[in-house]
Amino acid sequence: MSAQLHANLTEAQVREISESLDEPEWLLETRLDALDALDELEMPDVIRTPGRNWTNLYDLDFAGFVDPLNAAEEKDQVGPDEVEVMSITEALDEREELVREKFGSVIDPTENYLTALSTALFSTGTVVYVPDGVDAEDVTVRTRMNSRSLFNYTLVVAGESSSVTILERQTTGEDVEGERYYSGLVEIDADENSNVQYGSLQNVDQETYTYSLKRGHADTYGTIDWIEGNLGSRLTKSSVETRLLGEGAESQIVGAFFGHDDQHFDVASRVWHEAEHTTADLVTRGVLDDEARSVYEGVQDVGSEAWNTNSYQRENTLMLSDESEADASPKLIINNHDTEASHSATVGQVDQQDLFYMTSRGVSPRAARNMLVEGFFVPVLDEIAVEEFRDDLDDLVAARLRE
Amino acid sequence: MSSEQDHLRETDSEKRFEFKKEQNAAFAAEKGELDEETIRLISEDKDEPEWMLERRLRALRQFHAMPMPTDWPSQPDLSEVDVEEIVPYIRPDVDMRGSVDDWTELPEEIQDTFDKLGIPEAEKNALSGVGAQYESEVVYQNMQERWEEKGVIFCNMDKAVQDHPELVKEHFMTSCVPPSDNKFAALHGAIWSGGSFVYVPEGVTVEMPIQAYFRMNSEGMGQFEHTLIIAEEGSEVHYIEGCSAPQYSKFNLHSGGVEVFVGEDAHVQYSTVQNWSKNTYNLNTKRAICESEGTMEWISGSMGSKATMLYPSTILKGRGATDNHITIAFAGEGQDIDTGAKVYHNAPRTKSTIESKSISKDGGRTNYRGLIHISDGAEHSSTSVECDALMFDNESTSDTMPYMEIEESTVDVAHEATVGKIGDEDVFYLQSRGLDDDDAKQMIVAGFIEPITEELPIEYAVELNRLIELEMEGSLG
Repeated sequence: MSAQLHANLTEAQVREISESLDEPEWLLETRLDALDALDELEMPDVIRTPGRNWTNLYDLDFAGFVDPLNAAEEKDQVGPDEVEVMSITEALDEREELVREKFGSVIDPTENYLTALSTALFSTGTVVYVPDGVDAEDVTVRTRMNSRSLFNYTLVVAGESSSVTILERQTTGEDVEGERYYSGLVEIDADENSNVQYGSLQNVDQETYTYSLKRGHADTYGTIDWIEGNLGSRLTKSSVETRLLGEGAESQIVGAFFGHDDQHFDVASRVWHEAEHTTADLVTRGVLDDEARSVYEGVQDVGSEAWNTNSYQRENTLMLSDESEADASPKLIINNHDTEASHSATVGQVDQQDLFYMTSRGVSPRAARNMLVEGFFVPVLDEIAVEEFRDDLDDLVAARLRE
Repeated sequence: MSSEQDHLRETDSEKRFEFKKEQNAAFAAEKGELDEETIRLISEDKDEPEWMLERRLRALRQFHAMPMPTDWPSQPDLSEVDVEEIVPYIRPDVDMRGSVDDWTELPEEIQDTFDKLGIPEAEKNALSGVGAQYESEVVYQNMQERWEEKGVIFCNMDKAVQDHPELVKEHFMTSCVPPSDNKFAALHGAIWSGGSFVYVPEGVTVEMPIQAYFRMNSEGMGQFEHTLIIAEEGSEVHYIEGCSAPQYSKFNLHSGGVEVFVGEDAHVQYSTVQNWSKNTYNLNTKRAICESEGTMEWISGSMGSKATMLYPSTILKGRGATDNHITIAFAGEGQDIDTGAKVYHNAPRTKSTIESKSISKDGGRTNYRGLIHISDGAEHSSTSVECDALMFDNESTSDTMPYMEIEESTVDVAHEATVGKIGDEDVFYLQSRGLDDDDAKQMIVAGFIEPITEELPIEYAVELNRLIELEMEGSLG
């Protein structure tokens, strides 16, 4: 597996990336360690059932679409004055101690092959630092990828009793011949009583393969809410995760996807309850058209110390085409009995009675279907507190329906 | 609690399953490396036709070629299971080769075993036929004459190989559970012994259930019985399986194989109350193929064993076929009950429902592991899965791992699961009504599984409730 890539990936390249960002020695070491580890590492887990791999990552031609030294992008990193929104270079300049302490503390760079690859090769990044007690909205990070491959890194550190909303978007710009690869790691460290809302909207072109791992640590009474929208890409492997480490911590993970053509989405929501009185709510809705395929995994893991846990999960998939396929596996792993946990998952088509009713009222079948699909996303849209994000997602869904 | 219940508990304690008998074998295969020679010995002792020996040898090769399953997420620990450490075949010392049809013809210790388990008594009252397996061989087999007259066959599997070779050749580990299905199915194919063969001709309804009881008596043995049920068009049958073994310090292995062929518009119900001793690894493969408008029902209670990995599966092959699964799992100290259901919807308008209830306490683990597959073209199919789990303490584990693969859009797929603890308020309420803590919890558990026990024949509902009471007592006292 790793051999295919190693042929064109060298220590010199990693040193060159590090040097171009004027990085301190420790970060270069971390990169080189990740590079070294590649040989030993496995691809991220995919679900397997007898005779079937739900997603096949091993057949991907990483050597073909990883081009480490020619990364190009356009980036906006903006936020209100009381929050520090920095590029990775600025952050290493102004807050090196903070970055050194937090980098890799939530996602171990050598967790799997793709995290290590991302750590060794990332050339762009954002650090958001919210000081204690600061209440801020509207931090925006826009990434437009212009090269064959792009490795992106994001770190959010929210101080005690702070609050922040971050919206991230990934798109592709200039056309590149052939297949492309986008990889993004997001680490969130939410201190006591802080509140982080992190929305991500992925709409890259359909030649691009994406890997994304987003994980947060929520301390005592901390809250991390994720919104994850996936519309673009040829194939996406994405996981959004929260570890509830402090008493009373909470997390909500809201996901939406809409696949068409031969897109493949492998999306996961995972939460670990590791302290008392924690709460989690996982809500995902997805629509599949044409030959699109979805894989959903939801994990609610309740540790033996997690007394008085509340944990809920819902996943619904709507199939618009007979050629599409929806796979789902919502999992409960419960090690403390003082738990109220549930999950549910459904797969179905547009309700025929609703459709009949609407067409009998003179709505064309196509318009009726579109309205029902937009309606299907409403329970997810309702969970999104940020109006701008909600509107964007709504617009993208509407645009896809009218294609 | 009422004196009647106290009486029940005194007379019906764990000892009912715990007694051991001296090990009297007429023939036993040596433990050790499982090679062709062992297989030939077993086959020869059974005086089998060449084709069955060939199938055994082929399965043995597959067994050796396949790796142990170790990479399932959170699967039970099977590292102790060393096939070379078990005695694969023991023929008890019964005068008559094959089985007798009169309990009194059996050696006293075997007769006594089944008396204690209450089998002859049940036969008189509520069953159409009974088979009883002791170690590797079926020792007793009987069916009421009126079913025989209608062409129903109920005999032990070894006898079926001799008497009904065409039916067996066609159906035995071919299209339903081939040895290549999994490592333990391959092992089973190599060293299977005993079990039941049931054939119900077209249009015949066997009104009262037929039952098979499997008893392992010897330490360190493996039991590998094979059950083959063929229900022809429009027929109906209910098969009940019970199993137990006394507790030993060394592990025992049970690796049965069950194949059910449900014909057009036929109805088969397969009920199991599994109460293996807590040193037994229960690694079974059970599968049904269901033709159009046929109905398959799996009802399983898993109380015993050290570790169970069992996922009864149904292939809905014909249009309009239906599957129902009902499972109850109870894991106490040291037990890992990993069970569930698999359903393949391979035809239009097929329907499945799965209800699972599990209880874990004192460090036990239950897991619902299930797969629903709806193939492209299985239009207007529907499936509904409901899993509820009850936990007693934070040493225990309760997992739920369903997998859904949906390749068809005109479907209705729903999965729901809940996990919770015994409600303190419910216990408090019952205590305020004069029940002690144990009785209150027992009553809550009985209520929790009631939706399932009410689907069972009354004798089995009672048996299941008793077993659960015994499990509860074990640690609540």
